[in-house]
Amino acid sequence: MDDNRTPAATDLDEPMGDPREMLALLEAQQRRVADAQIAPVVWLYFIWGVAWFVGFLALWSGDEDGNPWFTIPAGVATPLFIVLLVISIVSSAVIGVRINRGVRGVSSFSGAVYGLSWSVCGAAFGLLGTALISHGLSTDLANLYFPSGFALMCGTIYLGGAALWRDTSQLILGLVMLIVGAAAPFAGSPGNDLVFALAGGGAFLVTAAVMAVRLGRNR
Amino acid sequence: MDELDPVIHASARLKITATLATLEVGDQIAFPRLQELLGMTAGNLSTHLRKLEDAGYVDVVKSHLGRSPVTYLALSRTGRRAFEDYREALRGLLGESA
Repeated sequence: MDDNRTPAATDLDEPMGDPREMLALLEAQQRRVADAQIAPVVWLYFIWGVAWFVGFLALWSGDEDGNPWFTIPAGVATPLFIVLLVISIVSSAVIGVRINRGVRGVSSFSGAVYGLSWSVCGAAFGLLGTALISHGLSTDLANLYFPSGFALMCGTIYLGGAALWRDTSQLILGLVMLIVGAAAPFAGSPGNDLVFALAGGGAFLVTAAVMAVRLGRNR
Repeated sequence: MDELDPVIHASARLKITATLATLEVGDQIAFPRLQELLGMTAGNLSTHLRKLEDAGYVDVVKSHLGRSPVTYLALSRTGRRAFEDYREALRGLLGESA
């Protein structure tokens, strides 16, 4: 070690805090790191919450047997739903990659598999639905299958994410998605769309709100 | 333990080690991202990282992302143990059980 490097204990520019201050500093910094990872997730949940809430309400209102107060043209409802879905998927990819940016090593594998599972599972559920349609699945039943398949996929992947990162928010959302996905078809079509909007979209939005409030408190 | 590790017992280096300790064992973090999480200037961060590296607490890996060089950092095994000992020592001094 050369002479210019002062021994660590005598840093003049670094006043020594007392143990209580140092422990508080340590914990505050680790909370700051954790919050930096949570903040983008809050956005993800918010974006998906809006997509589910508005998108499924639109589908429900686009069906003449749906919304009793007003009907919107199906030519508007379905494209709106698809646009919201695409926006959410693109934002998820962009935000998801940023959460752990700058970090490489063992966790890269988990992150890559998790990220990939969304597109792979999405394609698999989509393909199954297409196969069922080609073998005579009616439009009414397809309207039950696709949103439920999507919700069951989300629920399953969220449970995986919860296990991977010991993340309670994904555990709660995963369970809600599985329950909603399995139960919504009992409401029939288009009643299931209303269930997805309120219970699915609602779960995302409530989770995002709770996490945002907690983040705000830490600041 | 009665003495606090002087390498870590300085606010900037405590913050750096605390941040690196949140990484999973086997992960490394790029210098710019670490800087962002700490809110320190690059010069200040480099100075303190050098002290941690000299003590054997931080492993430094020079790498390339495309054409630009990137420095990746992680706590060494010694560094992680030193950080954990330091935290326990603080709690011990404060009468908290670890």
